[in-house]
Amino acid sequence: MKELTQKQIFDFLSNNGIENFIGVPDSTMKYFIDQGFKRKKVLITTREEEAIGISSGFALSKSNSLVFMQNAGFANSISTITSLVQLYEIPLIFLIGWRGYLKNDAPEHTKIGKIQPNLLKILDLQGKIITDKNWKASCNWALKKLANHESCALIIRRVFL
Amino acid sequence: MIRKEAIRLISKEIVDDVIVSANGYISRDLFEVGDKPTNFYMIGSMGLASSIGLGLALQNPKKTIYVFDGDGNILMNLGSLTTISKLKPKNFIHIIFDNSSHESTGGQPTSTNKISIDAIAKAVNFKVFRCNSKKNLDETFKKIKKMSGPIVILVKISKSEKISKRVSLPPKKIKSRFMKSLQS
Repeated sequence: MKELTQKQIFDFLSNNGIENFIGVPDSTMKYFIDQGFKRKKVLITTREEEAIGISSGFALSKSNSLVFMQNAGFANSISTITSLVQLYEIPLIFLIGWRGYLKNDAPEHTKIGKIQPNLLKILDLQGKIITDKNWKASCNWALKKLANHESCALIIRRVFL
Repeated sequence: MIRKEAIRLISKEIVDDVIVSANGYISRDLFEVGDKPTNFYMIGSMGLASSIGLGLALQNPKKTIYVFDGDGNILMNLGSLTTISKLKPKNFIHIIFDNSSHESTGGQPTSTNKISIDAIAKAVNFKVFRCNSKKNLDETFKKIKKMSGPIVILVKISKSEKISKRVSLPPKKIKSRFMKSLQS
C-alpha cells in the first residue's frame, strides 16, 4: 500500500474516534505506524497479546483502540481473541499485515499466509481487505462495527517483496 | 499465609478503586472473599491481567488500579513489566502472589523458587516490596497507599488446601457492571 494512503488511514481513524494505536510493528504498514509516532499516539508492545490486553483496558474505559500486527502475531493472538475479546465482547479494530499473500514471499510466511482467511472465518472475526482504492469505505465500515460494540479486522496485503 | 488470607487482607483495604484479577484461583479467591463491581475477573487470557490493568491505569488517572497476579501468570507476560515501566503509571500497583507453582493446574512448579520476580521488577525500575507474613503485608500495604507507582508487591504464599468456587457471574455481566463502576 502507498505511503500516502497509509498516512491518510492513520489520520482518518485518529480523527474519527480511535484514541489508541497499540501493537507490534510490521513493515507492511510502516508508514501507518510512522504517522502514529509523528502524532504521538502509538504504543509498541512486546507481544501482540499484550497489545490486546492493554487495548481491552482502554475499551473497558470507553476509549477506542486499534491493535496492529503482522499475521504471524495474529496467530499468536488467537487464544486472547477467543478468551478475552470475544468472551467479554470487547470492541477493537485489528489491523493485520498479510504476509504470505504473494506465493513467493519468504518461506516463514507461506503457511500462515495461506490459512489466514480461514482463520478469520473460523474465529468469526469479520474482516475486510483495505486497499489504496477502498480505504475510506473500509475504515468507515470498521468504525461502524466499533460503534455497534463489535470487533473487526482490516487486512493489508503485502504486495511487494 | 495462604493466598486467600492475603487477598482478604488486601481487598478489604481497597474500597472504591479497581482490582484486575488473574485467571485461576486468584480470581476465584477474590470472588469469594470480596465480590464487588469494581473487580474485573479475567477468567481467560492467561498472563494478561497486568496489561489490562495498564490500559485501565492510563485511561483512569484518578483511580488506583490494583492488579492481582500470580507467579505463573506474570512469567507468561514478563514483557509487560517493561512496557509498564516505560510508561510509569503512578496509579498502578502490581501485587504478585507467588507460591512457586501453577496451583490451579495441579501444582506444577514455576521457576520462582530459583529466580526472583521482584529482582526482575526492580531491574526495570519498579518500586518493589516483598512480603512473607500477614503482618508484613498489612504494614506494607498501608505504606504503599501513600506512594506513587508503578509498584510491585511480591507476596510469598503457601499452597492452599481448599479451593474457592468458580466465578459464577457471566463474563458479559462482569464487564457491564465493571464498566458502570468506572463511570462513578
